[in-house]
Amino acid sequence: MNLNIFIQHFINALSLGSLYGLVAVGYTMVYGILRLINFAHGDIFMLGAYFVYFATIVYKLPWAVGVVTAIILTTICGLLVDRIAYRPLREAPRISALISAIGVSFFIENFAVVVFTGMPRPVVQPPILMKPIELSGGVRLIPLGILVPVVSFVLVGCLLWLLYRTKPGLAMRAISFDIETTRMMGVSVNKIIALAFGLGSALAAVAGIMWALRYPRVEPFMGMTPGIKAFIAAVFGGIGSVPGAMIGGLILGFVEIMSVAFFPTLSGYKDAFAFLLLILILLFRPTGLLGEKLEDKI
Amino acid sequence: MRRTRNLLLTVIAVVLFAVFLDHAPDFLNGYWQRILNLIAINAILALSLNLIYGITGMFSLGHAGFMAIGAYVSALLVLSPAQKNAMWILEDIYPWLLNVNSPFIVSLIAAGVAAAFFGLLVAIPVLRLGGDYLGIATLGFAEIIRILITNTARLTNGSLGLKGIPAYTTLFMSWGCLGVVLLCMVCMLRSNFGGVLRAVRDDEVAAKMMGINTFRVKVIAFTLGCFGGGLGGALMGNLITTIDPRMFMITQTYNILMIIVVGGLGSVTGSIIGSVLVTTMLEWLRFVENPITLGSFTIPGIPGMRMVIFSLLLIIVIIFRREGIMGMREFSWDIFFPKPKPKPKAEHDTSGNVLEVRDVVLKFGGLTAIDTLTFDIKRGQIMGLIGPNGAGKTSAFNVISGFYKPTTGTIRFLGKSIGGLTPDEVCKAGMSRTFQNIRLFGHETVLQNVMTGSRVRQSYAWWQTLLPFVFTDVIREDARVRAQAMNLLEQLGLDEFAEEKASSLPYGAQRRLEIARALATRPEFLLLDEPAAGMNPQESEELLQFIRRLRDEFHLTILLIEHDMKVVMNVCDYIHVLDQGVHIAQGTPDEIKANPRVIEAYLGKGAA
Repeated sequence: MNLNIFIQHFINALSLGSLYGLVAVGYTMVYGILRLINFAHGDIFMLGAYFVYFATIVYKLPWAVGVVTAIILTTICGLLVDRIAYRPLREAPRISALISAIGVSFFIENFAVVVFTGMPRPVVQPPILMKPIELSGGVRLIPLGILVPVVSFVLVGCLLWLLYRTKPGLAMRAISFDIETTRMMGVSVNKIIALAFGLGSALAAVAGIMWALRYPRVEPFMGMTPGIKAFIAAVFGGIGSVPGAMIGGLILGFVEIMSVAFFPTLSGYKDAFAFLLLILILLFRPTGLLGEKLEDKI
Repeated sequence: MRRTRNLLLTVIAVVLFAVFLDHAPDFLNGYWQRILNLIAINAILALSLNLIYGITGMFSLGHAGFMAIGAYVSALLVLSPAQKNAMWILEDIYPWLLNVNSPFIVSLIAAGVAAAFFGLLVAIPVLRLGGDYLGIATLGFAEIIRILITNTARLTNGSLGLKGIPAYTTLFMSWGCLGVVLLCMVCMLRSNFGGVLRAVRDDEVAAKMMGINTFRVKVIAFTLGCFGGGLGGALMGNLITTIDPRMFMITQTYNILMIIVVGGLGSVTGSIIGSVLVTTMLEWLRFVENPITLGSFTIPGIPGMRMVIFSLLLIIVIIFRREGIMGMREFSWDIFFPKPKPKPKAEHDTSGNVLEVRDVVLKFGGLTAIDTLTFDIKRGQIMGLIGPNGAGKTSAFNVISGFYKPTTGTIRFLGKSIGGLTPDEVCKAGMSRTFQNIRLFGHETVLQNVMTGSRVRQSYAWWQTLLPFVFTDVIREDARVRAQAMNLLEQLGLDEFAEEKASSLPYGAQRRLEIARALATRPEFLLLDEPAAGMNPQESEELLQFIRRLRDEFHLTILLIEHDMKVVMNVCDYIHVLDQGVHIAQGTPDEIKANPRVIEAYLGKGAA
């Protein structure tokens, strides 16, 4: 493997990993607050991709406008999911909300089949993102490969600022620590939870858009596997921790790309690596890399 | 009388149904026969997932994977060598596999066993996880199994799948299998072992303290459930005659989950009703995907609409009727008959130390919860452990009862060291406890709560409960345990509540029930964690009498944590005082009352 090819793989792993990370952040925020695996999160990601497809390719909006529209619409969908399917179950056993999440995921996927049809649709990539740049030493990079990780890191940076330097961020961290006490401190808990869903959905939308550009097509079930893998990334990094989710996503991206790059015979097993990684971390470090221990009080 | 009647009615119902199945081909077309078959198969799958999730409380999303194993094992066994030769196009089949062939029944059992074997492999590492993590890990395993099947083409023919599997799944086959599964499961769930499974679901910590090795119980339930998954998968493969890896995606698990949620988590009856409803509805909903012609109009079908309606129903059920159709209730013939009025109805050596605690230190990271604690309890003593909040009293209890391992130091119980034992082993050795925040098996009846406590003293094995008519010990011992439990309830004045749900009892009665359950493990030594918490003066006066009675009538030695000084000073023979993990004083009640260090610990410096 020469340097050029290695760099290609490296960039690939970096973009895939940061996409996983971006989706994982949404999982980790919701789980941190509600202890709920938002199974519908991967499907929110799919909606983001579809919205940008319709905005730019069907309705011919300029890319910038299309992307903003898609993010807004996806965020609204995420908020609706919380309001309709999760909020009525706040006081119910956690498992009820989990089953509701499975139902929502199922619903969004099949609704997408009904509305958008099950056929994959090709996405036209803007040429400016695809024109290779020649670097010294004969290394060729396409701008999209650089754009994806840069956008992801900037967004996660913004999120961290919001979480650690603003009042709503403080409230969100407080809720994840103790929801009842936070409520008594006068925080409008439902609004803050909605904020978490909104932010997570917006990030998932961005990830969905970039995913659609990378593998230039959209289809109703495209969120399923990346969704589950992103959740695994969140568990790997330590559920509840935003930097952990990003690190988990990157590790997962690198493991997937590099193992296939170095051992091409394993390519059929590519999707199994994430699950193996998950089971290993759960066995040896159940709290993930950066997670905190939760204990049952006796 | 009632039991004979119910048994008779069951036999009649089964015979009638068998006659119906026998004549079904005369008046039902192939489509409806197929739906009947699917109902039985879905019921087997639902029952097995319900055993894992609804009854034992392990959130597993891996059922599709175990179905896949069953379906492949059975298909590979019943396909003829000629068929196999023709089907493996891309890669050659393993030679040893080519000629393997077996009758259908054998292949079904092999399918179940193979799935159970993989289930066991999965269970041992993964069941150490709880809750949602377990769900994701099992989902992961199911996905790995699917990927393995896709990639081991010489064994499974890869993504091409298997075609032309003989359609051996007849109505008698599928319903016969369901009958066997149902019978074994109902027998098991009615035995005291079934109570143990539900106890693990309701409160694992308390179940451990009842002497139950909860991990082992969970592994057993999970493995049995996987057997059912494999069996269902095998029947499914032989019904629709083609299988491929895409059939066993997570959607398949969701379907089964839907059935048990609609029917009621934890209810066997619910799983059956759910299978009938969901299977027929899924078939019936196909009409929305096909074009409908009304006179001269044709409404085009909408692909995908079926699953949209299906998933909406799942969400509606979970939001508006979480407990499903049956909740945790079960069908019984009794509902057709008036209820008969309940009739009112009708066991040491005294020397030496029961417990010796020596230099026990307990640290959590940098925090020292207990700092070198040493004390003895003599047989027949009632010992008090007091101290301000955060003194380390409950930590001491948790160390003694095996929930925490002491960082250093030794604990000897009845002359044997119990330092590294787990709570269930400690319980078997003869120690039992109650909890500060009452931990009952809330969904179970008062009687079953006490019976679960007795499980540790029963000798029959879990697998015997599958065939109680063969291993009659199960029936005999359960009857004995039931009588003992009733007796215990009577002594504690709880017999009138015997058939009530434990969580519906008033607070004081719940405290007494927790003690009754602890007594059912037949301990020699009982730890009571704040028994008087939340009681009014009159109730705590009754409690005083009650604790003395416990010692005298049950020959117990008692260690007691309590904040109510009236209770402590009146009932205890001897008292130890902890403050911030340090053992600051000990003595008789009168000595403690006069001890300046104790007063200081409670009221602050200068108070003495």
